[in-house]
Amino acid sequence: MTVLYINDEEVTVPAGTSILEACRENNVEVPYFCYHPELSVAANCRMCLVEVEGWNKPAASCCTPVSEGMKVVTQSAGLEKDRSMMMEYLLIHHPLDCPVCDQGGACKLQDYAVEHGVGRGRYTEVKRLPSDKDLGPFVNTCMTRCIHCTRCVRFADEIAGTGDMGVLNRGDHMKIDGIVEDALASELSGNLGDICPVGALLDKPSHDVSRPWEMTRHKSTCTACPQGCDIVIESRADEVMRIRPLKGGVEPWICDRGRYVYDAFRSDKRILSPMLRVGDKLEKASWDDAIEKAVTMLKGKRVGIVFSPDWSVEGLAAIRLLHDIGLENPKVAFDLHRRDSRPFAFDEGLTMTTESMEQVDQVVILGSDLRQRFPILMQRLRKRANLGKPVTRIGAMHYRTNSEIANDALVRPRDWYAVIARAMDQLKVLGKTAAGMDEWMGKVEARHEAGKLLADALLADTCALLVGEEIRSHEDAAALIHGLDLLMRAAGHAEEGQDGRNLLPSGMNAQLLSAMFNGTRTAAGEVFAAAIAGELDTLLLIGSDPIGDGLFSRKAKEALAKVDLLQVGSISGDMVGLADIKLPAAAYSEIEGTFINMEGRVRVAENPLRSLGEGRPLWKVMMRLIQALGHDVPAVNLTEMREHVLTMAPDFTALKDIWFAGKAQEDFIPAQRNRKNVFLPNVAKMNAAKGLDVVGRYSMYKEGAWVRASKLLAEAGRIHALDDVIVHPDTLAEMKLQAGDLTIMSNVGAERFTVGTRTDVSPGVVFVSKRGTAGDISGETSVDLGGGQ
Amino acid sequence: MSAPDKPQFSEARLAEIDALAARYPSRKSALMPVLYMAQQDFGYLSMDTQKMVAEVLGLRLMEVREVVTFYTMFKEQPTGKYLLEVCTNASCMVNGADALYAHMKNTLGIEPGQITEDGLFSINEVECAGACAGAPVVQVNNMYHEKATATDMDALISRIRAGEVI
Repeated sequence: MTVLYINDEEVTVPAGTSILEACRENNVEVPYFCYHPELSVAANCRMCLVEVEGWNKPAASCCTPVSEGMKVVTQSAGLEKDRSMMMEYLLIHHPLDCPVCDQGGACKLQDYAVEHGVGRGRYTEVKRLPSDKDLGPFVNTCMTRCIHCTRCVRFADEIAGTGDMGVLNRGDHMKIDGIVEDALASELSGNLGDICPVGALLDKPSHDVSRPWEMTRHKSTCTACPQGCDIVIESRADEVMRIRPLKGGVEPWICDRGRYVYDAFRSDKRILSPMLRVGDKLEKASWDDAIEKAVTMLKGKRVGIVFSPDWSVEGLAAIRLLHDIGLENPKVAFDLHRRDSRPFAFDEGLTMTTESMEQVDQVVILGSDLRQRFPILMQRLRKRANLGKPVTRIGAMHYRTNSEIANDALVRPRDWYAVIARAMDQLKVLGKTAAGMDEWMGKVEARHEAGKLLADALLADTCALLVGEEIRSHEDAAALIHGLDLLMRAAGHAEEGQDGRNLLPSGMNAQLLSAMFNGTRTAAGEVFAAAIAGELDTLLLIGSDPIGDGLFSRKAKEALAKVDLLQVGSISGDMVGLADIKLPAAAYSEIEGTFINMEGRVRVAENPLRSLGEGRPLWKVMMRLIQALGHDVPAVNLTEMREHVLTMAPDFTALKDIWFAGKAQEDFIPAQRNRKNVFLPNVAKMNAAKGLDVVGRYSMYKEGAWVRASKLLAEAGRIHALDDVIVHPDTLAEMKLQAGDLTIMSNVGAERFTVGTRTDVSPGVVFVSKRGTAGDISGETSVDLGGGQ
Repeated sequence: MSAPDKPQFSEARLAEIDALAARYPSRKSALMPVLYMAQQDFGYLSMDTQKMVAEVLGLRLMEVREVVTFYTMFKEQPTGKYLLEVCTNASCMVNGADALYAHMKNTLGIEPGQITEDGLFSINEVECAGACAGAPVVQVNNMYHEKATATDMDALISRIRAGEVI
């Protein structure tokens, strides 16, 4: 620690802190433009000058480390003069167009011009007129306003990892430019508008629409992925104008998916009032009529429930109450991405915070396209890689990460047994073992060399395993995760405090659902199969879009053609024309409620937007149904609803503390760990599979009913489109086939698709884009390829 | 001089680049000498050439672009075989560089950024060439012509046009 004096006040900060950071920590105002806490220090705006006693000229505080006994002065007549000269210099070429600039009212340049500027410029020569750039659908440019702080350039280099922004030319000709084809390559590009301290880079979708001071801010939780970032929804009247990351929140950035999903709030796919089928059409109805009709579909009927995990905790508990009280033995499922519903040795959820993943010695990604699925977690790993810490990855494809991956191995989904067994071999040789490991290994003959990378990483003192969708969606996922659990135990990464077993979930609230529905849940595929087999009368879909999302769209289509559909939700998804009744439930932005993210972090939203239509919070809709089905209503307010949650999940004391003891929201809900069930590999089943494995590819701009309803994200999805069907060229060569139109033979028949090739993927795998031409195939586990006559 | 459609360093050049890059802690450091090699081989640094350099050194295109645009001696546009750079900074100016520059443009019939029809000449005004003792200075490719006069320059241009290689 270093002791120094800022304006005669003694302060203590960690050694190596810069003067600017020491000032910020101690609430001493120092003006700056180019400094940003998440970016490297450039020291090019010269606005943060301070005086240091004994130094003969002012120092740029952002790049000057503190030293013992240093006496810093942040306010003096000399500094005031320096700052006013800096402002005059920065404003020389500035167009001074604050009245038409979106940044006006939230602009550092404007604020500092008032505070430090002289109010009148002396420059009468011709101003520079740099031309604007087209950086894609999310970032608007007005380069005349640029002050060359290079925050955007450092963001592209360090945070996005794409490096597509840069400084061209020099001196008076210096300009910020981007190398872009259709759009910036980063999935975090929306943040550029936020980090630009002036009005040069602005949010394009909300450009020229509103002013900062018109906005009402609603603190909320993003549910676009299980990361559950803290967001601020900015609205004017009831209309959402934009979504931004919460300042001072856990994550400094949010992804474009979570930011621009707001476009869907006003989409025509919203369910805003109860709808009833009359003949071929859905017509608006009153709540009473709709509920009455819904009862006829549920009472005494065989019901299947498929719901979305992204509802609030209270809503999910209400679904469980409807399941327990209102219906007779319904089948229930919620995870559209999980084929294996057996309890996992370590269930969905992280044991560590994403922030702590920057610190651990080793991180291993097993089968996940992290950038598409968890862009903010990927950003943490990118930060880690920038510090030179290794990231190991084993998976079906060298998914693009815009980051350095130290060790990268390709495996087919059917190779996972051999990978794990190979790692077990290595640990065993080193005398590290766990009870049951020999039995597990004994079931697997093959060994895959990628297991060496896994074992090497496991030998580090601390290791975080990130188990992704390729394993979680595996048919034999329980056995694989059991195997990984044994490995982690053997390597000593399963103990409390340094547990590195992280299973990436597919939706929010995974920890709660895993506890609340353990033993009750089935795989979504089984619910649809039951409907197809005539074992169900009604499907109750609550916010779930099984046709648009997940692995079972083909089955879901078939099932929905056979049974009645009662849809409860905020948005229709791809089930247009299928529902018999639609009941509106308020969107995540429109409710008071609790959300748990994949780290187990609890967030309670208390300041919702007004519901756009007749939507009620989900828990109220569920209570109404329970009542209409002739039962006592178990909860009449949010507090009672929360008490039910605690009855269902008594171990979740963090929820109790936050709800009823007013504790700060920094407690974590633990993920389910150390289940005793033993699941051994079913290698025979894998060997009986068809020739090629299928890996479904996920586009962050196209998955999820909300996302698909957003026109802004649709545009991004078009620009960043994934290939429909690709294989490794060797796979084709081995089968004596040429890329082009080929026949894909799956369990449901043979169809022709255009197949492309890529060399950075595992041979023996067919990659199918979920939202591409061959989308339905992405739900298969294995297929054969044939010639394309 | 026209560059091939897809510029590509020769094997010998690539070997030279590898040997050069090995002298630095990171390949990135070899960027400037490699850009000079590219300029020598392909006449100027087209976008395709810059992309190729980025690939050879494992850099991002933007990193290459930043360096290329920062230094004026990297050319992004093709020039004539002989690039005449007339210094018009202080010492040269007082010794009549402006008139010389105007005269030369007139003789050649081109403006900066253009190439004479025979592909031989381009002309440019430059800031201090660092040879004030010999002002006014005209740099012809890599050679300085000090105390240059209109007559000298006309003679030089005629000699080159007549086929003399200087």
